[in-house]
Amino acid sequence: MIRQFQALSKKEFYESAATFRLYILLAVFLLFGMLSPLIAKATPDLLAAIDTGMVIEMPEPTALDSWTQFFKNVAQMGMIILVILYSGIMSNEFSKGTLVNLLTKGLSRSVVILAKFVAASIVWLASYLICLGTCWAYTIYFWGSVEISNAFLTFAAPWLFGEILIALLMLGGTIFSNVYGSLFTCFAAVVVLNAISLIPKASRYNPASLAGGTLALIAGAGEPSQFIPAMVVGAVLAAGLVVATIEVFKRKRV
Amino acid sequence: MEELFKYIPFLIPIAVIQLALLASAVVHILRHNSFRFGNRLMWLIICVAVNIIGPVLYFVIGKGDD
Repeated sequence: MIRQFQALSKKEFYESAATFRLYILLAVFLLFGMLSPLIAKATPDLLAAIDTGMVIEMPEPTALDSWTQFFKNVAQMGMIILVILYSGIMSNEFSKGTLVNLLTKGLSRSVVILAKFVAASIVWLASYLICLGTCWAYTIYFWGSVEISNAFLTFAAPWLFGEILIALLMLGGTIFSNVYGSLFTCFAAVVVLNAISLIPKASRYNPASLAGGTLALIAGAGEPSQFIPAMVVGAVLAAGLVVATIEVFKRKRV
Repeated sequence: MEELFKYIPFLIPIAVIQLALLASAVVHILRHNSFRFGNRLMWLIICVAVNIIGPVLYFVIGKGDD
């Protein structure tokens, strides 16, 4: 089991390198890490440079603006790119039939799913950490060191939401065997989660608030305990989705 | 000019990323002949004309499987 897992996750890493997925994800998130403080810093200058005849009073940008940009970029564009890049995670195997040989030789089906999920998670974690590190470094460079309360909780939340998205892509891909199934499942789930957040009482437990909601913590508003239920629900949801994917995959004809 | 120097710490790394993406995309386009849609000339123009997004688009949706 362990050896199968190691071999398969190694194969996943080689695959993401060979399809350029790894490099694109790293490059894009490195860019987001740089762009966030840059946009925050440059907005007043840009507005000043456009001579509209109107006087627009802009407050001096702060480190908080930089973090706002970070959450915006990661939670919107970053997640979209993650989803598009990983949309073929299951369906490519089905359409090319690359798993048939391995499975008939006795490779465990749960190992396949787990190895894929873990490999994708590690790539996502690495990209996210690069983005975070770059943004952090530039923010300190421009605004000096800033005290960030509850840093771990604040920054772990968007990562956890990405994990949920990866699990959703795998479940959708396993059920429908194609890229559109993956994308549709992911999109539908995000719509449902956002719809739930319209109910005020449920929003506390809603993983959708993980994507960008913890920004309030940096600003000093909001309590960390406010987000812990959503974190727990999110973690359980991600784990549940992986288990569901394994179960569906076990019953599937490849 | 002084305004510009403020942004040098950003401009250099972003330029490096852009050039690396551009170079790898162009090399990949020239060495492969299968595209999910479009043709070689179209992707070359997109990659060269649209900074950063062009090469990323090519690798994400334009590159054919081989």
